[in-house]
Amino acid sequence: MSSCVATGYLDGGAENEIKGMNWFQRLHPFTVLAVAAAVVTTTTAAGLWWLSCTVNAGALVVAWSVGKSKKLIGLSSAIVLPTFASQLMIHGLASNGSFGLTQAGLQTAAELGLRTAVLVVVGLLCSLVIDRHQLVAAIDLSKAPAQLGYLVAATLFLLPQLAERQRVINEAQMLRQVKFRRGLRGWFQKVRLQAVPLVLSSLEETANRAPHLAARGFPATQRMTRLREVPDSNGQRWIRHVSVLCVLLLPALLLVPSWMDFA
Amino acid sequence: MSPNLLLADESTGSRLRRNLLAIAGTLLLVTTYTVLVITQPTDLTGGLGQGVALATFAAYLLSALLLLAAVLQDLPVSTLTLIPVALALNILLGQFVGSVMVPLYLDSMGTVLVGFLAGRRAGAATGVLGTLIWSLFAPTVLPFAAGAALIGFLAGTAARFGAVRRVYLAPIAGLVSGVLVGAISAPVAAFVFGGTSGVGTGAVVTVFRSMGDSLLSAVTKQALLSDPGDKAIVFLIAALLVYALPNRMSQSYEFVRRYRVLGRRGGERD
Repeated sequence: MSSCVATGYLDGGAENEIKGMNWFQRLHPFTVLAVAAAVVTTTTAAGLWWLSCTVNAGALVVAWSVGKSKKLIGLSSAIVLPTFASQLMIHGLASNGSFGLTQAGLQTAAELGLRTAVLVVVGLLCSLVIDRHQLVAAIDLSKAPAQLGYLVAATLFLLPQLAERQRVINEAQMLRQVKFRRGLRGWFQKVRLQAVPLVLSSLEETANRAPHLAARGFPATQRMTRLREVPDSNGQRWIRHVSVLCVLLLPALLLVPSWMDFA
Repeated sequence: MSPNLLLADESTGSRLRRNLLAIAGTLLLVTTYTVLVITQPTDLTGGLGQGVALATFAAYLLSALLLLAAVLQDLPVSTLTLIPVALALNILLGQFVGSVMVPLYLDSMGTVLVGFLAGRRAGAATGVLGTLIWSLFAPTVLPFAAGAALIGFLAGTAARFGAVRRVYLAPIAGLVSGVLVGAISAPVAAFVFGGTSGVGTGAVVTVFRSMGDSLLSAVTKQALLSDPGDKAIVFLIAALLVYALPNRMSQSYEFVRRYRVLGRRGGERD
């Protein structure tokens, strides 16, 4: 546990919860995000294929160390492979009004694909290693408006609930022995019978929730006590500041020489 | 008395600050778009290309965040509770479309719904927040936050000026919105990602490129082919969903009552 925590007191339950977290989840979420932003911007500015490959491999090693490598590979592939295919078609096959494979086109496609892959792999690694409860708590404890923390928390936790409700609605329609037609008419029928009940019930719920939230003083006009702790330390704060500086300065330092050549 | 029972203290200074943030966000977006369209950098992977990609990414994301900061604190609680549901609907209905193999996105349904019910500021905020949260699952959507904000803003504007009062007006408003959103989002696809991220859309861009179009021109044409149709259908379905709401619920939104969004369908008639 770090020397400095962001709020109030730490009860036994919270302490046990933090002990059960992996090494990355014990970091402040903003530290992970700041370092990731620095890595992505610097790698993009450098534009070196071996650096991009090293960053992607490093991300996979980190994911493997926390037992999320299969998930990272699966999720990344779903985004990166269609992107690579698209780049190959756009730059590898077609250029300057002609249609055919060129070496320059293939090289451009590979470089663009690798650039996108770094953003995807590092971004997804962040979402896999950051604990969503910690992220919401960190937003709440930051200087961001109180509404932002609520919106992030509510969306992340509503999503599985609404997915479950959609499943129940589908089951109910099956029990009613609804038969969906094929083609566009069938699609509109599905929208009507599955999406309409989902949307209406969700909106009904929000209409009921609003007065309850308002009655509890939301959005708060003053700082509120939170029982969840977000581990933080001076070292992490220093890392965040350095990372933000890297995001701003390193790309400029790397790119200025080539801009000079261009000018 | 608890401070929460008092009306929010709206000083002239805070209103001015929010207006300045909104103007700064809009200016940044428009300036970036104009510079990219005028200069059309051809180098995608060299030093200039990397700089353009980073600058475009940063400018579009920053403008979206500025717009969010400008509107977030003005939103009433009823709208704040609506936004997470809209964001979840964007994701769920997007997946629903994918599962039935219809070549539409429909991933902005919730954003348009919020625009129709709660106005353009709420719509814009939903667009930006939706993209920020969706980027946790697909980081490539992050620079498209400004385009998503524009969809919500245009949906709210369309509803304010009567596009939801007649069912045939909604798809027309969607069509116009799709053209604007497609045009604004094209530079991101072209200069940040060097094209599109889907195989189908990539094939369309390839056809235009092989006819001699520049990358930006090809991506813009592809966006103008896909986006207007998609947005027309999204606006139509969102309007039909709003009509399906009980009167009690739709009239609980101040925006709907104030601008008579539903016209004669609503409870309040002249």
